[in-house]
Amino acid sequence: MQLDFTVVFSYWQVLAKGLALTLAFTVSCAVLGSVFGFLLSLLRLSKKRFISIPTGLYVELFRGTPLLIQLFWIFFCLPVVFGISVPPYISVMLALTLYMTAITSETFRGALKSIPSEQHDACTALGVAKWNKVLYVIFPQALLRAVPPLLSNVVSLFKESALISSVGIADLMFVGQNISNSTARPVEFLSAVAVIYFLVAFPLTRLVGVIETRMLKRYAY
Amino acid sequence: MNYEFDFHFLTGNFGVLWDGLKVTLQLALISNVVGLVLGFGLCLLTLSRWFFIRWPAQLFIEFFRCTPALLQIVWFFYCLPMLFNVFIDPITMGVLALGLNLTAFNAEAYRAGVQAVPREHEDACVALGLSPWQRTIYVILPQAVRTALPVLMTNGISILQQSALVAIVAVADLMYVGKSIATEAYRPLETYSLIALIYFALSLPIAQLVQWIERRQDTALAR
Repeated sequence: MQLDFTVVFSYWQVLAKGLALTLAFTVSCAVLGSVFGFLLSLLRLSKKRFISIPTGLYVELFRGTPLLIQLFWIFFCLPVVFGISVPPYISVMLALTLYMTAITSETFRGALKSIPSEQHDACTALGVAKWNKVLYVIFPQALLRAVPPLLSNVVSLFKESALISSVGIADLMFVGQNISNSTARPVEFLSAVAVIYFLVAFPLTRLVGVIETRMLKRYAY
Repeated sequence: MNYEFDFHFLTGNFGVLWDGLKVTLQLALISNVVGLVLGFGLCLLTLSRWFFIRWPAQLFIEFFRCTPALLQIVWFFYCLPMLFNVFIDPITMGVLALGLNLTAFNAEAYRAGVQAVPREHEDACVALGLSPWQRTIYVILPQAVRTALPVLMTNGISILQQSALVAIVAVADLMYVGKSIATEAYRPLETYSLIALIYFALSLPIAQLVQWIERRQDTALAR
């Protein structure tokens, strides 16, 4: 068979649109998921069992089931449960955000645990109020330590977002598959899409390494 | 919420679900064997002295780690038969895609373990006259596995979950079977919840085991 990769370039606009949608979903769900994930990690460390057990269960459930089934569950079951129609964009966004929240809360939990107990003691000794302690002492340090794993979470969210193509959202994966089907040139187009994903994700993973070695050594330890 | 749960339709579909579960387990287990074995080999290649061995191995790892698993699976199913003009049965193809994906992730996990083996062990191997092969299998591998075990197991769980993606290319695994039952019986809520619970029940014990091992390793380190 003959491979002709030049055909890919004539479709660059459609592919760029797909990539834009993928990036839009990734960025918005990453931001929302990080915020909720941080709040959730605080709840998980709570001493009250009726708070820590349900939140722990939520995290285990979302980390312990395939994202594909979470997506399908929200896409097909949520309308049945609540008897309302949910627009596809919203349900996809909800699924990705819930997933990101679960994995991010684990990241933050690790970061919060890595903060030495002396810091907590010092806050008590200085009479810093509980929420001030969280906001001004714990959060900044935890955030700094959580940056590298958080960034890797964003990369995995970026990769996992390819799943939304299976419910018909026209992201990069969907567009790539569509073109490869209609032109009957899967090798060229699927490879091209793979390269596009790689070109976005690879620099980000490198950045994780750079931050780990440079920034953290300087500021966090 | 006023929804009447009805699980009766499942009674006739029990056999189908069981078959799907078997395919999922088959995919996950064989991919794990592939990933555990090839992952160690690939890890050694990335630590090679020669640039032309190290570089392709690293590229392989980065490519599998930086592209979506779904895309890898679709690529294997559509492109491999076209490129090489072969027919491979769907389950083998799924194992190939998932196994190579896991190989890349496990290679990274092993690397930390291999690098943690102290230099003195290598010197001791030379002093004892062990061949490089013996040194790799009997000295480095056991220690690398021990350090990397929690990550290797976590990767194993995630491949179980990624195996659900083969449903998109119509391999009759648990996810695919669940999807078709949900459409046929028009009972998405019950079916998808049940499937999710099965996946959860499979991965939870292993996740707990990982936590237990990590705790033990932490206490061992603290001592």
